[in-house]
Parts: sequence; C-alpha cells; structure tokens
Amino acid sequence: MKNYETLNIRMTVYCALFTALIIVGGYISIPIPIGPVPIVLADFFVMLAGLFLGFKYAFISISLYLALGLIGLPVFAGGTSGLAVIFGPTGGFIIGYILMGVCIGFITTKMKVTIISLMIALIAGNILLYLAGVPWLKFNMKLSWPAAITIGFIPFTAGIVIKIAAAVALGYAFLPQFKQKMVFASFKQPDDGDE
Amino acid sequence: MAGMTFFHYLHKETILHKMDCRLKLLCMLLLSLSASFALKLPHYLVPISLIMLAIWAAKLPFGALLKDMRFFGVLILIVFISNAFLIPGEPIPNFPIANISQQGVITGLRFAGRLTLIIMACSVISGTTSLSSLRNAVEWILRPFPFISEVRIATMVSLTFILIPLIFDNYIEIMDAQKSRCIQLQKKPALRIKYISFPLLTQTFRRADEIINAMESRNYSEVRTQVELYTKKADWLILALCAAVLLFVLFF
Repeated sequence: MKNYETLNIRMTVYCALFTALIIVGGYISIPIPIGPVPIVLADFFVMLAGLFLGFKYAFISISLYLALGLIGLPVFAGGTSGLAVIFGPTGGFIIGYILMGVCIGFITTKMKVTIISLMIALIAGNILLYLAGVPWLKFNMKLSWPAAITIGFIPFTAGIVIKIAAAVALGYAFLPQFKQKMVFASFKQPDDGDE
Repeated sequence: MAGMTFFHYLHKETILHKMDCRLKLLCMLLLSLSASFALKLPHYLVPISLIMLAIWAAKLPFGALLKDMRFFGVLILIVFISNAFLIPGEPIPNFPIANISQQGVITGLRFAGRLTLIIMACSVISGTTSLSSLRNAVEWILRPFPFISEVRIATMVSLTFILIPLIFDNYIEIMDAQKSRCIQLQKKPALRIKYISFPLLTQTFRRADEIINAMESRNYSEVRTQVELYTKKADWLILALCAAVLLFVLFF
C-alpha cells in the first residue's frame, strides 16, 4: 500500500511539473510571417511529457493544461486562454497535443529505449498532431488543402526536426535514469513500521 | 519570473482576498470570454476599468504590476508588430512605413488588448487567491465528476502554480549562465536547445524530487478533511459585475 502511495505522489508531482513546463513553453512563442500559428516550445514539452510520463500520466498532465486554459488562465501559446482558442484556428493543434502525448507515451512504454524507438514514437506523435491541427485549421479558416498545409505545416518542418532531435537526445540521456527512479519508487524497501 | 508579482499570492485583508474562490474562477472565465468577444474600444475599456478597480480594491501593488508587464510587453509588442505587418489590407495614409496595413494595425491592437486583459485578470486572481483556497475550489468543482480523483487533480493544480515561477527562475538563471559562456555565438539551433533544456530539465527534476521528498516526509495522503466553502453576498455582487461586463461586450 505504501509503495502505491509513494509512486502516486511521485507521478502527481511529475504530472504537475510537465503541465508547468508546457505552460512555460507556450510563453516562448515565435510568430511566423505566413500564418496565424506561431512556433512554440509547448509541443516540445508535450513530446517530453509523453516520453517521460507514459501514456496514462501524459494524458492527465496534458488534460490538466487544457483544463487550466479552458477556465481562463492565460496558459495557451502566447498567453491566450478560453474556449475561443479551442474553437479558433489553433484549436486542432491544442487537441492534437493530447493525441501526440498519448501516442508517444504508448510507443515508448511498449518499446525499449533506443534512438530508433524514440524517433519512431516522436515522429508518430507529430504526425498525429498535424493530422489533428491542419484539417482543423483548413475548416476553421475555410482554406484550401494546399493553403492549410502551407500555413499550418510547412513553416514548422524545420522546427519539428530540431525539436525531435533535441527530444531524442534528452530522452536517450534521461529516460533510462527516470524509469529506474520510477521502478525504485515502486519497489522501495519497507520501513521498520511496515514489517 | 519568480521575483515578479505576477502569479504570486499577496496576503491582504480585502474583499477580493476573502471572496469564494469558486466564484473567483467563474469571474475569470467571464472576463476571459469578454476578452474573446471584444471588438470595439469600449469593449476593452470597460473590463480593463473593472480590473483596475479590482487591483485598487485588492490593494495589489499597481506600480510593481505595471513594471512586471515589461515581460509580457515584449510578447504583446511582437504579436502587434507581426499582425500589423503581415495582415494584408489598405496602407495607412501619410505613414512612413508602407508595409503596415490599417486592417493589420486594428487586428494587432485587438489581439494585444485581449492579451493585456487576460494577463491583468489573471494577475488579480493569482494575487488574491492562496494556493490552498485554489486547491479547495478545484476539489469542489471536480467532486461531481466520476472516475476522477479530485484531491489529486487539485493537488496537481496547486503544484503547477508552485512550479511555474520556479521553472521561469531556473530558465533565467540558466540563460544568464549560458550567455556568460557566449551561447549567442552558437549558430546551430539544436545545440542551443540542448544547452538550455538539459540543465533546465536536470534542475527542475531535482526541484520536483525535493517536493516529493517533502510531501513523503509529511505523510501526504489523499484522505483529507473536506473544507466547507461558503459564499457571501459581496461575492455574488462581484460575479454579477463580471456577468454585466460580458453582456455589455456581447450586446453593445
């Protein structure tokens, strides 16, 4: 029972930590010249949430981020918030964060930590993010498919590659230690009082 | 950011500090909606006047808040300039810069106004709400939902608010350290991200571990005594004011 509680406290804190990191990442946003979708580091931290927390806790962490934005706290990219952002042009990308985090978490939980497996997980996650974001942008702004891809995907390709490379490096460096910490927490030696 | 007044609770004995946090969150939602639907100048002036009144009533340090707006000021300026230059439309007559359109300036001003309004409203809410009352309110809101551990989610919300200034603080420290090592001369963006994110993650994980140890050493448990929340007439009055602001924005 104590081990279960210990792991939950750890995961509760880590979920909050990644929610905070996603929020901070949303403030570091760079507007781009040909569209309404800015380059933000929030998706980079969503990738890391998926890698480090696994699909269940990544889902909780990213949902918490969405919930905080929905109640009006300025946590979305560039300090925006509210239902209007969800139903606006970038709403698909925000919903896509959940899909990306869960997908990356699911793949990394099922596979051994190697550079290839991390790349597969991150690429699959990003594909889901843009599959949710670009069609939403198209229908929301009543654009043609080429126009939606031009402003919702192409400007970000260089950024995606850089973010994936950095996330792979971080995952490869930290994930084995992080998973060990999780295992250690769940199999912690009982105290004298528990025996 | 950690040294900033934004997102920091300031203890005072005022009507806003004593307000029921559930209604305070509802006020935040109404003001956020007002910001989303605002189109004309009075739509921005009315909610901003209400927020100014709230800052005065809550005895929050107006000068310090204004000074701290510099951080967001850069962000708002970038948003305004990018909109002004990039949105196509008619050029402004007799204006020296030809690429700026009238429509771009109007859209940029609208977006900047919305952002200012939301950030100011958030600063009032965070300045007048202690983390424990925020946690209690979130716990109360989530209580009817099945399959959700409301205590855990409420704890996560309060932890997130503790961690945001810590992460900003770490980020500023790391940036200063890397600048002293001439990171600006590094041309490869992947290496730049690496030099910032590696130490940032290491430090934030270390801080998170400290919080975990502190919680474990205090025998943190999800079995907690439920706090009785109550609402006063003044709280309903403030909520009615926020609702009136939203109605003004929607229908006038």
